[in-house]
Amino acid sequence: MSVTYIDAIREAQETLLREDPRVFLYGQDIATFGGAFKATKGLAEKFPNRVFDCPISEDAMIGLAVGAAIEGMRPIVEMQFADFSSIAFNQIVNQAATHFYRTGVPIPITIRLPSGGTPGSGPFHSQSMEGIYAQYPGLVVLTPASVSDAYHMLIDAVALDDPVIFCEHKFLYRWLKSKSINDDHLPIGQARIVRSGKHATVVAYSAMVHEAVRAADRLQQDGWEIEVVDLRSVKPLDIDTVLASVARTGRLLALGEAFPWGGVTAEVVSRVAAEGFHLLDAPPQRLNARDTPVPYHPKLWAAHRPTPESICEALRKLLTF
Amino acid sequence: MPTVPILMPQLGESIAEATVIRLGIAVGDAVRTDQEIIEVETNKAVMGVTTLCNGIVSEIKAQEGISYSVGSLLGLLEVAAEEVARTGVDTLESLEAKRSDASTSPAQAEANLHFAIDDADAYEEAPAVVPSVKGLPVPAGTMGAHYISPRMRARMDDLGLREADISAVAGTGAGGRVTVEDLERFLDYLEAWPSTQASPMRLAVADAMRRSWTRPLATVGLPTSLDRVLDHRRTHEPKPGLTLYMLRAFALALTENPATAGYLIGDKVVHPRAFDIGVAVQVEDGVVVPVVRKVDQKPLRELIAEYDDLVDRARRRRLSENDCRGGIATVTNFGTFGLTLGTPIPLPNETLILGIGAGVKKPIWSAQAEVFLPATVAEVFLTFDHRVVDGGGAGLLLKRVAELLQDPSAL
Amino acid sequence: MPTNTDGVVTNRDFLRSVFHSMLRARILENKLSSLYKAGKIVGGVYLGRGQEAVSATLGTSLIQGKDFFAPLIRDQAGRTAFGESMLDCTRTYLGSAQGPMRGRDGNIHRGRPEMGMPAMISHLGAQVPVVAGMLFAKRLQGTLEGRVGATCIGDGASSTGAFHEGLNLAAVEKLPLVIVIGNNQFAYSTPNSRQFVCADLVEKARGYGIGGFSVDGTDLLACVSVIGEAVRRARAGQGPQMVVARLLRLSGHGEHDDGSYVPDEIRKDHYGRDCIEVAIRQLLENGHATADEISSWENEFSDEVQRAVAQAQQEAPPDPYHEDWTALATRFPLTASQPTAQPVFP
Repeated sequence: MSVTYIDAIREAQETLLREDPRVFLYGQDIATFGGAFKATKGLAEKFPNRVFDCPISEDAMIGLAVGAAIEGMRPIVEMQFADFSSIAFNQIVNQAATHFYRTGVPIPITIRLPSGGTPGSGPFHSQSMEGIYAQYPGLVVLTPASVSDAYHMLIDAVALDDPVIFCEHKFLYRWLKSKSINDDHLPIGQARIVRSGKHATVVAYSAMVHEAVRAADRLQQDGWEIEVVDLRSVKPLDIDTVLASVARTGRLLALGEAFPWGGVTAEVVSRVAAEGFHLLDAPPQRLNARDTPVPYHPKLWAAHRPTPESICEALRKLLTF
Repeated sequence: MPTVPILMPQLGESIAEATVIRLGIAVGDAVRTDQEIIEVETNKAVMGVTTLCNGIVSEIKAQEGISYSVGSLLGLLEVAAEEVARTGVDTLESLEAKRSDASTSPAQAEANLHFAIDDADAYEEAPAVVPSVKGLPVPAGTMGAHYISPRMRARMDDLGLREADISAVAGTGAGGRVTVEDLERFLDYLEAWPSTQASPMRLAVADAMRRSWTRPLATVGLPTSLDRVLDHRRTHEPKPGLTLYMLRAFALALTENPATAGYLIGDKVVHPRAFDIGVAVQVEDGVVVPVVRKVDQKPLRELIAEYDDLVDRARRRRLSENDCRGGIATVTNFGTFGLTLGTPIPLPNETLILGIGAGVKKPIWSAQAEVFLPATVAEVFLTFDHRVVDGGGAGLLLKRVAELLQDPSAL
Repeated sequence: MPTNTDGVVTNRDFLRSVFHSMLRARILENKLSSLYKAGKIVGGVYLGRGQEAVSATLGTSLIQGKDFFAPLIRDQAGRTAFGESMLDCTRTYLGSAQGPMRGRDGNIHRGRPEMGMPAMISHLGAQVPVVAGMLFAKRLQGTLEGRVGATCIGDGASSTGAFHEGLNLAAVEKLPLVIVIGNNQFAYSTPNSRQFVCADLVEKARGYGIGGFSVDGTDLLACVSVIGEAVRRARAGQGPQMVVARLLRLSGHGEHDDGSYVPDEIRKDHYGRDCIEVAIRQLLENGHATADEISSWENEFSDEVQRAVAQAQQEAPPDPYHEDWTALATRFPLTASQPTAQPVFP
């Protein structure tokens, strides 16, 4: 018996629907069909009139969620792909994100974004949007990397009084399995050290945590011990845990699957450079996807995003500086 | 009666000024609340400036056809106090009060700062500039051996290390730079060696020497006959120390050209205020330098007691801080250790140090007698900060000291 | 607010109430314009002159505390009718820290979402799905019965994707949403001919499968009849209703704009007339009010406006040194509920 990442997300939603009458699910193809990735499989039957199919109207879906939140509900909206949330960008960043600051009325909505690339998905079904949303004040942006985090963080996300961008990694959906959902439950906003080391720190999130661990395994054969920090939440950003790790290692590689200009990795590097300059023994490095749209062909795709090979290469450069 | 200003409003988000097209009022006119009294034109539209209360026009500052920036005073109204209360308008007096509030409130002061650009031309678009100034040469090996990372710098500060301390560490980083791990390994390696805690005296000397060594120091030397000094000393009671003769000769030579002992700070040479000269005394695990005061103004015999007392207290480590303060140069006699040659280092806050080696019997050619005669000769050295003094100046000073030593009764 | 779900046209109290909101709004907005032109308001001033009959009728047809109303930029009359206080308006425009937006947002971007009146954002059409969502919540909570949500919008906003998505979604969800399009013939300076090509915007209602009504927005009695009917149908569970009110904006887009691009023939045609003048004539002709009454209302509302302006003008602005500079309702960092996985120190 094992639990996949997507099982955890489904389980969390079932728990939420069962325990919180304010929760409802809204999205395309999520009711009887169970969602494009089956994240809501069987929930419509178990919870009649709580799980709704909706028209292909991302902007209106978020608008509806905002309105429902004003009236006391806790909607979970599934974007079929994170990429399509660009259609809802206005409602997310201008309506939901500004609402509490402007009016004092919180907007507790959770927007699930199936994010990141899988082979063959191409430019419009592969994007990582976390950096864009983290740029806006008023949003919480979460990027779970483990099965247990996917479960606990989704439950915590719905409990927050703020709009949450919940970035789920599509590659992890079925690839990532766990024996069970464990109780190792950190609060939202805290990073986790998933591998301990003393020669360099890799700060990663979402699927890149697993790539970083693989790279660290390889480098271990050469005697390098790499510490891997899983941010879990990119906003708020747990810079204390990152700085504490860099304090142990003196070297930093920030790793992300998003496009290279700006974004989460740039934020991590700039915060460490500003607040932990004295901790650095080498220029802090970033490794991101390439600066092109995400390509379709699996061979191109595999070379577009950071891989254990490219992570090892970046780390070797960093380690021999 | 309170006075209410008529101000040029901000008529549009990007509007900085507006032109008065028509003044619809004259001094003495009664105006009503919300009456449009001045017609103005922006680059977007034609609009009327309104009044906020009933009143009488007491002054008109604006002229037709002239453009005024937002916030400019266009005119004044005399308004009854009851009317001010009814409408809540700001009067000149209440505005003044708010302004003086603003000058004390940091919040307001900051808000004002953000919009403090008065000069609209400052934002005029300028053509793109081609950089024509030759920049710095780009170092070829930015990651080379001399790079000290922020982490290294912080760790070295922790341990009180200077670059000199890590010169023993072989770097494994890019371009042979010393990484923090190299340093930590080196420190670990040193753990295996016997070590002791350096005494405070040792650390003080080390610090002074390290600081002094940051300057371009040079040394010149001159063989000097000591026979006359030794003869004079033999006949004198109490016997002055050899170093005291040097001290006195050095002071007298310096009085003839005090700038030689000047101290360079930035673009200034700081001159000696008094010819107070230190003398290096070897003590356990270090050197101390008590200062003999006004050496130029006291003959040798008067200096003996003061000198002996200082040296004695130095050896017993009974010097006060004041005893060591304010010297302009130092004399060190390493001849007492039997050494004939040395390159002494001046204190970090002094430009000169005079050193003397051991006297040695040597045959010296006498031009008068045309024969080698035995003489007691010592090498006398002067180390100087080359930023302040050159070889020639230092040489002249040294020669003068040697000359003065040939007439010890005059010292 | 007196409301009546049947025979509203004959309800004297209802008509007088709508007219009160129209007149209050007009006097307040004239004051806002004056404050702007005297340099007292920063940012912009956006008026609803010429649209009061439509807006006030809608606001009066709604029940505060039960219905939802998402006003747009030309809805001072509707806001007043729905129960917004004048102080909310003057405090927001004049930047008082005591206003509902506390200086964090200004002018017409104010609202009281907790009282069923969301605060608009500048992006047009965006309020349509928000009202739909408020209604959707009530359905899930089992208290939708007899409730409506309304929003106003302009001809320009009818071209946005948000309008389309929101309205279509409200139709799919069969929500009691009333959308009132004030076709004031210009979106800022762009005329209808560059905005849409259907003969009448109400044709769009058919496309969404929702109720559609056209009305002369300058005619109070027509507005009360038509908008009242649209609200009644929505309340009765007949799904979204669209009302297209034809009229002319009698101001510029904002008070920085003199609207000089509006041709004279349009100003002079039927829809260029002032709905307040029409309303006064209708009230007098039908014996719903006397000239003396109207003039005493004018005086009463002018005093009300002056008091709200005088008070807001003397209130303290927000203080950046005491501003709570956080956009989140959650106060991070959250305390740990479980021990952190401790790294193994080298």
